[in-house]
Amino acid sequence: MLSEAAAEGSSKVVEVLEHELTTQPLVDIHLGGLDLSISNAVVYLWASAIVVFLIFFIASKRMRNRPGLLQSFAESLVNFGRGHLTGQIGEKGKKYYYLVLTIFVFILTTNLIGLIPKPGLMKPYLPTANINVTAAMAVVVFLTTQYLGVKNTELRRKREPIALSSDVPPVVAWTVKIVLFPFRILFTLLRKIGGYLKSWLLPPGVPKVLAVPLNGIFFLVHMVGELFRPVSLSVRLFGNTLAGHLVILVMLGLILEFGKWFVFVPAGAFVVIMTGFEIFVALLQAYIFALLSVLYIEGAIYAGH
Amino acid sequence: MDAETAKMLAAGLGIGLAAIGPGIGIGYLTGRATEAIARQPEAAGDIRTAMLIGAGMTEALTLYAFVISIILLFVA
Repeated sequence: MLSEAAAEGSSKVVEVLEHELTTQPLVDIHLGGLDLSISNAVVYLWASAIVVFLIFFIASKRMRNRPGLLQSFAESLVNFGRGHLTGQIGEKGKKYYYLVLTIFVFILTTNLIGLIPKPGLMKPYLPTANINVTAAMAVVVFLTTQYLGVKNTELRRKREPIALSSDVPPVVAWTVKIVLFPFRILFTLLRKIGGYLKSWLLPPGVPKVLAVPLNGIFFLVHMVGELFRPVSLSVRLFGNTLAGHLVILVMLGLILEFGKWFVFVPAGAFVVIMTGFEIFVALLQAYIFALLSVLYIEGAIYAGH
Repeated sequence: MDAETAKMLAAGLGIGLAAIGPGIGIGYLTGRATEAIARQPEAAGDIRTAMLIGAGMTEALTLYAFVISIILLFVA
């Protein structure tokens, strides 16, 4: 619909929307069936990644005892990541503080860079207004939670060492151990996955007649719940940024279309207010994304107890 | 009524109706949060944080409907 309206050469509103909400390929790279071309979305994602990297890198280069502006800003971010954001993870989850902090700062930087008005030559684009970008981040969090859930399952029967009788020559003993090693790792992995999936079922102690259908229902419900989490994470971020951005762009398009001053005054004020609100929403959504990631990781580490 | 009209109607109605529930929810949430701040002003920071988290979560429900509307209008 968008493209056919633009083809008619109709209103400026559609022009403005096309201006900022479509990805335009800059360098065309097509590998096989995949479209890997470098578009403006990719360039803006790289730009925000570089900005995030530079903030922390420059701040850590010359650390002084009386920190300047950038260093205290970076320090407050790191303290936020270690304290407030990741409150309940505790000991086992310390490795994931910085993953969550990076998610937070990256989403925040991407949204803020996307809010700055840029001329058409720079082909502006808000990457988080694209469901693929937010889905990619949500999939990273989802895979992390599943990996941690499997890794932290406690097996009741530990892996026993291979006991061979003592009159076997050491060469044979070592060969047997080396050959069997990958299979034992595989079996432990399968048992851990089984244990993790078993935590999605009913607690033990239910008679078999009831347990089988109830187990099936429980498992399905839990699986849908688990699969819904990355969907909700990505859709939340995507919808919030896209909605705010659309409102701002439509207002700008209205100003451009009717060039009169009595359209410009209220619509201009509205655009300013909405941009301010969008900054607030960007911060809030980045915080919520990171906080929910923390909660899911914590739920996976301390599995069920 | 052909498919195009039905799609536009569905998109408009969908987002309109979907704004009711979370609107009530966030209003209730903010009201209770201000009440809690009035009762104990020193906990204002924690209450504000909890309120913002709740608002972000309930806002997501409207956005699911918004995404479906966008899909209806622009993708199919």
